[in-house]
Amino acid sequence: MESAVWIILLPLLTAFFLGIFKLYSDKLFYSLVIVSMVIYLYLLILVINDSYPPKVYSIGDWGLLGINLMVDSFSAMFLLIIAILFITVIIFSLNYIKVNKHKFIILTYVMIAGIAGMVLTADLFNLYVFLEVSSMSSYALTAIKKTDKSIESSFKYLIMSTFGSFFILLATILTYYLTGTLNMAEISLEFKSVPFMIKSTIMFFFIFGYGIKIGLVPLHAWMPDSYEASPIPYNVLSSGLVMKSAIYALIRLLYVIFGVEFLTESGILNIGVFWGVLTFIIAHTLAYQQSNLNRLLGYSSIAQIGYITIGLFLGNEKGLIGGSFHILNHGIMKGTLFLVLGIFYYSLKADEIEDIQGLGYKFPVLSFTFVVAALAIVGLPPFNGFVSKWLIIEAAIEAGFFYAAFFILVGTFLSLTYYLKVIIKLYTKTEKKTLIEKPDLSLKLPTFFLGSLCILFGIVPSLPLSLINNIPKFLLNNSEYIRILLGG
Amino acid sequence: MELPYVVVIILFCLGIYTIIMNKNLIKIVVGVNIVESSLILLLILISFKLGGTAPILDRKYELVVDPIPQALALTAIVIGGSFIAVMLALVIKIYKRYGTLNVDEIRKLRG
Repeated sequence: MESAVWIILLPLLTAFFLGIFKLYSDKLFYSLVIVSMVIYLYLLILVINDSYPPKVYSIGDWGLLGINLMVDSFSAMFLLIIAILFITVIIFSLNYIKVNKHKFIILTYVMIAGIAGMVLTADLFNLYVFLEVSSMSSYALTAIKKTDKSIESSFKYLIMSTFGSFFILLATILTYYLTGTLNMAEISLEFKSVPFMIKSTIMFFFIFGYGIKIGLVPLHAWMPDSYEASPIPYNVLSSGLVMKSAIYALIRLLYVIFGVEFLTESGILNIGVFWGVLTFIIAHTLAYQQSNLNRLLGYSSIAQIGYITIGLFLGNEKGLIGGSFHILNHGIMKGTLFLVLGIFYYSLKADEIEDIQGLGYKFPVLSFTFVVAALAIVGLPPFNGFVSKWLIIEAAIEAGFFYAAFFILVGTFLSLTYYLKVIIKLYTKTEKKTLIEKPDLSLKLPTFFLGSLCILFGIVPSLPLSLINNIPKFLLNNSEYIRILLGG
Repeated sequence: MELPYVVVIILFCLGIYTIIMNKNLIKIVVGVNIVESSLILLLILISFKLGGTAPILDRKYELVVDPIPQALALTAIVIGGSFIAVMLALVIKIYKRYGTLNVDEIRKLRG
């Protein structure tokens, strides 16, 4: 059964039929959402279980002439993140979104189809097409609230992200011109005979284009505005999946097509680590000055992406494992924080730090979840953030980047300052607040689920690590990947 | 230096200059369109072979131009068209709210 193709097709078909059922009745709409979610979860678990050793599916049985899909451990980890975050966000947004609910759910399905396509494909232009599909639905989701701030931030996001897409398209066209093929394995073989300067130029175009979508400083300017103005369930997906899928595409291109020897020779690994350190130092400093909670969490996301960049650009095995584990952990931790913030906003319209004063006593279990997730992001044991950060620090010392390890520790203290500021405000007593709406069980359950995963993955990290440990085998030594893709 | 590639470079740089430097929202959208067109032109240029004919299956001809970049160009045209549509919809909304199309004014109003 070609189940990998259905992972991309099912959300698209569901979105199409949801658009039709929206005109008929609400009951039909929601029952289709629930049915497709259950089938999708089953498909994802089926493919993730089958992912080591990697499998190749060629669409339409065209073999190497056509588009191939390849599921290896890096893709399987992203499918796991989709499984955890997507189901949670859909359950949360069934009750949370009041305006434009049907459009929100349809656009989320299209975005998930785009992201699933991006992580499964093994073809260069197909990667660009699915990147655009997910970006296009992101632009629409940012502007869905239709307030002044939403429209302006969506336009800024649109222009900057399109700018990045142009450089990615330019690099793709030049790669096709040099090698005559679009299959990632064949490109990798042909690239060995291309001169050094040309490869460096193409690599620079790819890094600049994807850097805008990932949010490395100074190309991050669209991110805090977009976080402030978009609905909170979309913020969970954006920080957990959209930016990480751009990291996936960049790492896949750099390690498989260019190869580790070329990366070490050209010195881009040093530049990448330095850029990661610069990103999180600046992001932590800017996060302390924010008074809006959404923007604060947005800058914190940029800083965590700096850590992930350091981990993935170190070039050794432990760095890749640490960086990938941090991608999984950050999605869960940031998702918990945003969902708790969403419940606060739903019941009290609380947006700034002053508004959440004293809520620790009104919502005791929710505030405890918030504290758990905040401490996990800072990196304290026994939560999952500690495990992945420790792996990155160890890998940095092993690779000889001592300044990176030192600055990660400094960054931990910097992030502790502003998270502690929010936690203290949460537990200060005050008299004035009254509830507008009581949060429903369907809002609280996803939050507790994600929060418990924070604790679970911290105490038993071998559960996800059994999946993640196989990642460096196919990235560091790209001959394995090439052999499987060409043989299939 | 071949002339068509020089035209592509000039169009690309002109489009990027327009996006970065211009103050009017509609002109920024036009700049995006120019960059898109230059990339599609580059795709068509890659596939050309001297003496080749259109890539349609016919027994008489032996030398055809490369059909893959032409398929990529069609996809890129559709993607570019949808970009411009979303951008123009947002520009209309911004104009209705603020009454002006100058980038500086809009940033000042938001604070």
